[in-house]
Amino acid sequence: MREKLILSLAALGTLLLVWDFNTIFLHLPDEALQGAIYRIIFIHVPAAIGAYVFYSVAVITSAMFLVKKDFKYDSLAVACVEVGATFTLVNLVTGSIWGRIIWGIWWTWDARLTTQLICFLLYLGYLLLRPAVTEPTQRATMSAILAIFAFADIPIVVMAIRLKNVRTQHPQPVLETGGLDPSFWPPLLISFAAVLLIGTALVLVRLHQETSRREIDYLRRELHAL
Amino acid sequence: MTGWSAALAIARKDLQTELRTKESINASASFALVILVLFSFAFDLGREELLEISGGLLWLVYSFAGALIVNRSFARELPNDCLDVLIASPAPGWAIFLGKALSCFLLLMAVELISLPVFGIFYNVQWTGAFFSLLLVIALATWGITVVGAAFSAVTVNVRLRELMLPVLLYPILIPLLSAAMELTTALVNGEGLGGDNSAGVRLLVGFDVIFTSLAIYLVDFILVV
Amino acid sequence: MDIRNFTYLVYGYSAAMLVIFGYVTLLVLRSRRIDRELTRLKSLVEDKS
Repeated sequence: MREKLILSLAALGTLLLVWDFNTIFLHLPDEALQGAIYRIIFIHVPAAIGAYVFYSVAVITSAMFLVKKDFKYDSLAVACVEVGATFTLVNLVTGSIWGRIIWGIWWTWDARLTTQLICFLLYLGYLLLRPAVTEPTQRATMSAILAIFAFADIPIVVMAIRLKNVRTQHPQPVLETGGLDPSFWPPLLISFAAVLLIGTALVLVRLHQETSRREIDYLRRELHAL
Repeated sequence: MTGWSAALAIARKDLQTELRTKESINASASFALVILVLFSFAFDLGREELLEISGGLLWLVYSFAGALIVNRSFARELPNDCLDVLIASPAPGWAIFLGKALSCFLLLMAVELISLPVFGIFYNVQWTGAFFSLLLVIALATWGITVVGAAFSAVTVNVRLRELMLPVLLYPILIPLLSAAMELTTALVNGEGLGGDNSAGVRLLVGFDVIFTSLAIYLVDFILVV
Repeated sequence: MDIRNFTYLVYGYSAAMLVIFGYVTLLVLRSRRIDRELTRLKSLVEDKS
């Protein structure tokens, strides 16, 4: 049942992505100033927003773990953080390649890039902390606290970077101001849906791995007892 | 014993222990001075550029020193199960945490105030003019470092490779705080006041302190029992 | 259409796919390791009891 769910989510997500690629690569016109490279927005932005969705789920489940002490919340939290970190990496890498063409440099310390990098570092720390703790309850509690602190830090990072009077090279938000051509919205939304579907499938796989790991711990304890 | 008197008692105990052995204050102050010297070899700058990076330099040194101090804070309670006894005592969790954070704060302030004249001399930077504003910025940012540092010190006290994990987890969270502190320090050293554009930085420092102190106190029961 | 921009577009999407497939590979390898460990432990528990 679970496997069928994962497979169907992944398949649906992949199908949407493939259909999206068809639209993006073959049916959309080139942009006047950027040529073809602007199409990277269709993976760059959904990856970032998808990552934030998963981080939000992670912080909620982390808080639930602290309250309810049920390990399934901890498993869901780590799964969401891992998938979120992967998508943040996708965002950073695609953004870097885009920047190489448009701005001529692989990296710059402007507002959005810095925020994303810090976000990635915060959750990378979370993923690095987990293997360092062997006791499950301790590990889960620590991870939960770290997830909450990390999530609380993100708005402050956004504010802090706005302080620096850095000339932002990053394009102004086009989604909110409606500067995006209406023909771009469908592929963008489909891309976003695909990211969420594939991400959810990955989360479910990771969740199952955590459950198996707990079973391994239980069996090890039983083996010691026998 | 009320919470506040417990917190002060714990802070006094930590400070007395520290002043008798002087282990972390010596290590921290020496480290800060060595790093200051090292940076002077790393950069060969003219006066103008030096004034521009002064804030950054100073806060890098302070954050390295701070990590050493907060690391010792909870680690020193490990031998003889002192930490368990502390937690089992009638003192409320928040009092234990605030007491330790307070002692770290005072120790770090001491190290910073020792390093400040040395910084002024080595780098030929005039900071005496804006001393009280500088003191305010240093105090606000130091409290942010110590409160988050103490929280993570408590969380990682039983983790393998604690000395390595603490900076990896701590610094990304502190980035907005340090960024604002660096900006403000550079501005103050260059003769600007705390008003106008810089007041946003002060607001950020205060906001960071308030948010993370509240978060740490709210989660203290989970942090300490870990 | 500037050829150079298109090349980098392909690089961009390839990089994105690589990261995601890299993570999927990581998951698959981890799954195999976990399954191996699980079967080993289950057989050990059965032998002992």
